[in-house]
Amino acid sequence: MVSLSVDGKRIEVRENTLLIEALLSQGISIPHFCYHPALGKDGNCRMCMVEIEGQKRPQIACDTLVKEGMVVRTKGEKIDRVKRSILEMELINHPIDCPICDQAGECSLQNYYMDVGLYESRLTTPKVRGKKHVDLGANVVLDQERCVLCTRCVRFTEKITKTHELGVLSRGDHSVIDTFPGEKLNNPYAMNVVDLCPVGALTSKDFRFAKRVWFLQSEKAICNRCARGCSIFVDHHKEKYGSEKIYRYRPRLNEAINGYFICDAGRLSYAHENALFDAQAMIRGKVSEYDYAEGKWLRLLKRYLGKTLFLISSSLGLEEFVRLQKLAKLYDIALSAYEPDRFDDRFGDTFLKCADRSANARALPLLGIDDTQEGFQKALQNAELIVLIGRHDVALILDAPCRKSVVVLDAGGMTCEEVELMLPVASHTQKEGTYINVEGYVQYSACMIANDKGRKSLLELLGTVLGDGMVRAQEIWEEEIVRLEPFQNLSFAMLSSTPRIVL
Amino acid sequence: MGVKIVQRHGKTLREKLYLPAIFGGMKTTLRHFTANLSDTPQIKTFSYPEEQPQDITERYRGVHRLTKREDGSVRCVACFMCATACPAECIFIEAQEREDGVDEKMPRRFDIDLLECVFCGACVEACPCDAIRMDSGIFSFIGKKREDFIQTKEQLLAREAKENR
Ligand code: SF4
Ligand code: SF4
Ligand code: SF4
Ligand code: SF4
Ligand code: FES
Repeated sequence: MVSLSVDGKRIEVRENTLLIEALLSQGISIPHFCYHPALGKDGNCRMCMVEIEGQKRPQIACDTLVKEGMVVRTKGEKIDRVKRSILEMELINHPIDCPICDQAGECSLQNYYMDVGLYESRLTTPKVRGKKHVDLGANVVLDQERCVLCTRCVRFTEKITKTHELGVLSRGDHSVIDTFPGEKLNNPYAMNVVDLCPVGALTSKDFRFAKRVWFLQSEKAICNRCARGCSIFVDHHKEKYGSEKIYRYRPRLNEAINGYFICDAGRLSYAHENALFDAQAMIRGKVSEYDYAEGKWLRLLKRYLGKTLFLISSSLGLEEFVRLQKLAKLYDIALSAYEPDRFDDRFGDTFLKCADRSANARALPLLGIDDTQEGFQKALQNAELIVLIGRHDVALILDAPCRKSVVVLDAGGMTCEEVELMLPVASHTQKEGTYINVEGYVQYSACMIANDKGRKSLLELLGTVLGDGMVRAQEIWEEEIVRLEPFQNLSFAMLSSTPRIVL
Repeated sequence: MGVKIVQRHGKTLREKLYLPAIFGGMKTTLRHFTANLSDTPQIKTFSYPEEQPQDITERYRGVHRLTKREDGSVRCVACFMCATACPAECIFIEAQEREDGVDEKMPRRFDIDLLECVFCGACVEACPCDAIRMDSGIFSFIGKKREDFIQTKEQLLAREAKENR
């Protein structure tokens, strides 16, 4: 450990740390464009200047290693003037498009200008113009005028995806980011450059003009599109007189799992969630009142006591598994999580994407829930009522030789006359839950977007049937999950630090 | 929580009777009444709506309008500054890609609900493009249904500034 003084305060950091990392880890704000924890230093933007005692000129914090006894100043008239001059230079050719720029509200340039800028423009010459609306491919739109040439995007395609699509073309004032002639940005992680870009030069075509960011509320969640379970932010908003809508997913830093990134497929899957928000209760293909449909579900469950099969999705939360298992034991219900389409080899790769498309299948063997085809076939033969939970692949049942009553408890999806009852439940972003990822990391997804259609979550429905009214993840963890062998060393509070269990 | 004790007034008998204060007030009313009755042209009211007000100044905040550029295209770039500043949250904007090549962004929908609007002028102050103004001079707006009071982009664009008399 080395100790240094920053603005008169002593801090202790590990040896061989970059000064900028030391400062940021202490919560000291230091303007920077080109440095990014996932891409390292580049030293081209000069925005991270600090004063170091004993050095004649200000130094860039991103290319300075910490030294014992270093005395650093990040504030003060002198260093602020340096930062202001650099900012002024960055803004010489900047279009200041903030009213039409999707980055406005989360733009580093805007923020730094408000912190250390606030100067009167001295510019008398016209600005150098660039191309305004370049479609780079992969849903990424480039505005060359807004670029500060930090090369984060270029380094992302070099270091992270190793696809090398982007580069800096031309020289001096005319330097611009572009793809190489005839090439397009084309990799499954390309949209991460939109988050990496500190300004509005790279924006998302998908989110383009959809919403000003300051209206959005962010919720912490876990992506459920594959077994990696990347940490994400769900950005949503309920417009006046409108209903809740999700506008985008963004990666949420989780060093253990996804770092700073997510895949484009996961990022765009928010649209699928939105489509589910309108699902209605249906009885034999006809729209029904929710309360009546819920009553019907209870009546059906009672009528077929002992002759029921719960065919559950392996992407349900751990709490839901545990409660379903409890209900199944209590009323002698068969339980199967057999999914013929669980694996998709075309989806998987060596970075984040997994061929296993299930969000929580790792929990099944830990809890002893059967997911084999044989187990399913056997249970299907004996059952008269099949309840699909968290899934709606009804063809699997309807193709079976003998007639069964089918009930679907899912966030949404197609129904037909053959389905006795479709009772919509809270979708993934409308419910909390714990998920175990492909490497055994246990994560809690806290996103519970209110649903204005009055539909219940699966935990609420199960709480009613079981009669103990336990509906919150925390209660279920404390009362039931920690008593189970594989989870005895965990607690609900520990989930925020993403603990790992042996699979 | 801090609690502030406020002393009640009106403890004396004179105050408790109320009547002296009431007569005091009535005296003022009566004085104005007799003065006005003896000199009617002096009265500070006029018979609206037969007589229309003549003192609508340039800065009067009337019903909004959306301004246009020199080439006649809509000036608004759908930046949502007005909607953000609006205390009544009565501006409803949807943005879209601009097709006329003048700029990049424009409103697809721009509705102001005049029944919710408090005519504070915050939207005009907030606009970075001088695209919304309240200089129409319209101080009275009549409609038969609630929907009539939702001013659409087309209606707002068609409105002109009040002629300066
Ligand atoms: S990049 Fe930032 S400063 Fe530039 S126009 Fe966009 S929001 Fe404004
Ligand atoms: S496009 Fe964005 S990320 Fe790329 S160099 Fe320009 S400012 Fe940096
Ligand atoms: S005048 Fe005030 S209340 Fe009315 S639209 Fe403008 S900001 Fe909103
Ligand atoms: S009227 Fe002005 S403030 Fe409102 S969206 Fe249009 S440009 Fe922005
Ligand atoms: S962040 Fe240090 S030079 Fe760019």
